[in-house]
Amino acid sequence: MLYIVYIIAIGSAMILGLILKLPLLPERPMRQSWTTSVIFPTAVLALGFTAMVSKLGYLTSANSNYLIALAIGVLTAIFSKFILERILPRPLQEESPDESQEVSP
Amino acid sequence: MNEVIGIIIAAVISWLNFVLIDTWMGLPEAPGVKGAEVIGRNIKKRGGDLAGGFFQGNIVCSPDASAGTLLASIGCYLIGTPEGGLIAAVLVFFGNRLCADPGYAGTTGALTITILIALTSYIGLTPIMFIAGMMIAILTIQGLYHPASSKLLGKIAQRMGRYTEIE
Repeated sequence: MLYIVYIIAIGSAMILGLILKLPLLPERPMRQSWTTSVIFPTAVLALGFTAMVSKLGYLTSANSNYLIALAIGVLTAIFSKFILERILPRPLQEESPDESQEVSP
Repeated sequence: MNEVIGIIIAAVISWLNFVLIDTWMGLPEAPGVKGAEVIGRNIKKRGGDLAGGFFQGNIVCSPDASAGTLLASIGCYLIGTPEGGLIAAVLVFFGNRLCADPGYAGTTGALTITILIALTSYIGLTPIMFIAGMMIAILTIQGLYHPASSKLLGKIAQRMGRYTEIE
């Protein structure tokens, strides 16, 4: 059952994300928030990575599938917590024009 | 299902998917990146609506629900439903961050259209109909007449309580 694999991947990613003290959702307004959280993007990344592994043909037997899903979830949570902001850092330039606008008048 | 009817239905579903999600996520409220502000003000100067202009600027400058809808449809067509859509959601997320846009409209749009493609497959709609439908849907917003489409988007934003407070 492929959907159980997705549920295990999302579940393990979310549980480990909460253990690693990621917030459940980014603070509002979400549109302006750079915070990495459990739902966005950890759960979405877990879904996508599981789909990639599935389509690459690594999900073959039921028993190993569940272990692979668990591993994807764990690795995704670690990726979100420690690596994501290093490869996709927050843009620093966004703040400087606003500050200069505030100062100029 | 007849291909033409399928494309029309898919266009309507895609239009509602990306307009409602983008509006709900606050695209008309403020420009997420600098280029969106330039486009929004330019559309207002040509007789359009500022909130609608910000919406249009935001979907041009970074992947939002419109890009999510299109890429998820392409993903489902190339890779399969739902895996293609889920992979597209991840790629849209990375695309958003590369464009210095912190939003989640694109990711959400990709996931919702993947669900809609999976559900509508039971009535005979295929991912390729959604690709064509999304092209038509985005044409109505970005390709025909900006002042009119921005006014429509502004009215939808007002109804959903997402109108911009920027003058």
